[in-house]
Amino acid sequence: MCDHGQSKRGVFSAAVAVNEQICEDHFLLRLHICDPVRKFPPSSAGQFVQLRCKSADSREAGHLVEATATTPPQFSLDELTNHQPLLRRPLSLGGRREIDPGTTELEIIYRVVGTGTRWLAGLKSGAELSVLGPLGNAFAIRTDKPKAALIGGGVGIPPMLYAAETLSENNIEPIAFCGAQTSQLLPLTVDGAPDTGGAPSLCTREFTERGAKTVITTDDGSLGFRGFVTQAFQQWCDDSGVAAGQLVVYSCGPEVMMRIVGDICIDRGIECYLSLERHMGCGMGTCQSCVVKIRDNSEQGWSYKLCCSDGPAFPAELIVWE
Amino acid sequence: METTNKRQSGDIESIDLSVNIAGVELDNPLMTASGTCGYSDEYADFVDLGELGAFVTKSISVAPRSGNEYPRIVETRAGMMNAIGLANVGLDVFISEKLPKLQAMNLPVFVNIAGVTQADYIQVAEALEDIDIVRGVELNISCPNVKAGGIQFGVDPSAVEKITAAVKKVTRKNKLIVKLSPNVSDITATAQAAVNGGADALSLINTLTAMAIDIDTQRPILANKTGGLSGPAIRPVAVYMVHRVYTQVAKPAGIPIIGMGGIQYASDAIEFLLAGATGLALGTSLFVDPRCIVEIKNGIRKYLADRDKSSVQDIIGALQID
Repeated sequence: MCDHGQSKRGVFSAAVAVNEQICEDHFLLRLHICDPVRKFPPSSAGQFVQLRCKSADSREAGHLVEATATTPPQFSLDELTNHQPLLRRPLSLGGRREIDPGTTELEIIYRVVGTGTRWLAGLKSGAELSVLGPLGNAFAIRTDKPKAALIGGGVGIPPMLYAAETLSENNIEPIAFCGAQTSQLLPLTVDGAPDTGGAPSLCTREFTERGAKTVITTDDGSLGFRGFVTQAFQQWCDDSGVAAGQLVVYSCGPEVMMRIVGDICIDRGIECYLSLERHMGCGMGTCQSCVVKIRDNSEQGWSYKLCCSDGPAFPAELIVWE
Repeated sequence: METTNKRQSGDIESIDLSVNIAGVELDNPLMTASGTCGYSDEYADFVDLGELGAFVTKSISVAPRSGNEYPRIVETRAGMMNAIGLANVGLDVFISEKLPKLQAMNLPVFVNIAGVTQADYIQVAEALEDIDIVRGVELNISCPNVKAGGIQFGVDPSAVEKITAAVKKVTRKNKLIVKLSPNVSDITATAQAAVNGGADALSLINTLTAMAIDIDTQRPILANKTGGLSGPAIRPVAVYMVHRVYTQVAKPAGIPIIGMGGIQYASDAIEFLLAGATGLALGTSLFVDPRCIVEIKNGIRKYLADRDKSSVQDIIGALQID
């Protein structure tokens, strides 16, 4: 039974267990949360956490560090020399497991794109990190559909790993379509040569472990199918003979990619959920920054929903693209 | 001789943090800054908002507002700019759906009100007179992110006095707080105008109008073009303005100040108290870690204990200037 007192979302202190570069610009981060009082609450594929990209600070525990005319300013050298952003950074969960009683491991794959992720990339094993979460809705798992296609572009691939695991556990057969600009930017371990024609195979360790075959596409043809992941998916829809009603699509990646995924699915009558990305202030549904236009019955035909708390996953047909 | 002239740690809990804002008793000076706390239930999992002294709501307008286009925020060094555009559910939904949730918190509630015309402010203020849990209204005459959304009232002293007096006529039970804009050449002039119009308390500062430019596209980053700067970056400006308004307007008039602008740590909160603030509002910090409410209270208590003070009121306006 779920103990509500212990399963509330919250701010947790995590220790870095692994933080290693897995390909150009991409890092695998494994965090261990071992809180004697509260367990990290249950989480689901599609959810995310907000990481504080800043060194632990004793002032946050109510300690007073006062500057006087004779003592230096109250900022550490680290704070003054390494830019540490104020706001947290939202990162989707690539997986989660209980590794021993009381310790939860969160897996995150991130790409270094700015100040926050650059700071994260410098973290060593054992470093402490503040984790706020789990946040957001989860991918709706449809147990009445036997197959699922997971379409990930670049750093949108990690949440597809978590989804593959959940789908397999629910006896739904997942097939992953993973696209990158070039092989060096694919955050997966390639075990065998992927099919250049876009046929699913057991070519990546991460998806194979989670019960999914993978189709790899690269824009430059350096690995797998040459072209966009959306082309490979469309071709698979034509060739595989899977009926639209038997399939659900989950996707995360660049908005241009997801928009095409959505269009393909709407055209073919396939149920489709897209995990959107927005700049977020809080991640908790408060600051109203991460708005998405979602169709409704109002006069203007849509209203703003929040990516952080109403999403990040939305049914494709409800999204009003800008 | 630490043990003889410092209180025992057991005494820290007994230190009195209570303050009085224009006749409303608060358990402690901490409040939420309007717009950074939604309608209360968003943070429920992360911190016990009962730790606050009072709750200040997001701006409420007569009709619902969907707010500005995306992007609505941009992070800066040590701060953030927002242009949410007073997105809110509107007066009727606020009363029927949101107020019951606020009721459950058992805190004094101040409702921030916004409008385009004087009649708008009056209509919202009148509707809130009949609600017990609401103890005051905070006039948002200084939101920089809405065209004709209040700023024209907030920068001209005679307009500030006029609208304050007009709303004062319909606030009988509720206290009237006027939130001042820092985007003026002399904040003591608008502060004095609010006092002349009958304000029971002043809150300051609202955000500083600011702009960020995307150097690749050579266009403003925010859809609204400009936004309001908040966070630690503005704290020294806010402390200075609180100091000026306290010494030149509020103290002579016997009116309390609710100080805000980048309060992140207990030491920041203490600066505001010393400068003359009776209440302290937290905004951007809540986005980063809602638990800062508890940490700041603990830090203020330690500061007082170390100086053998029994009440937070002993340091309000205690700034020494030779």
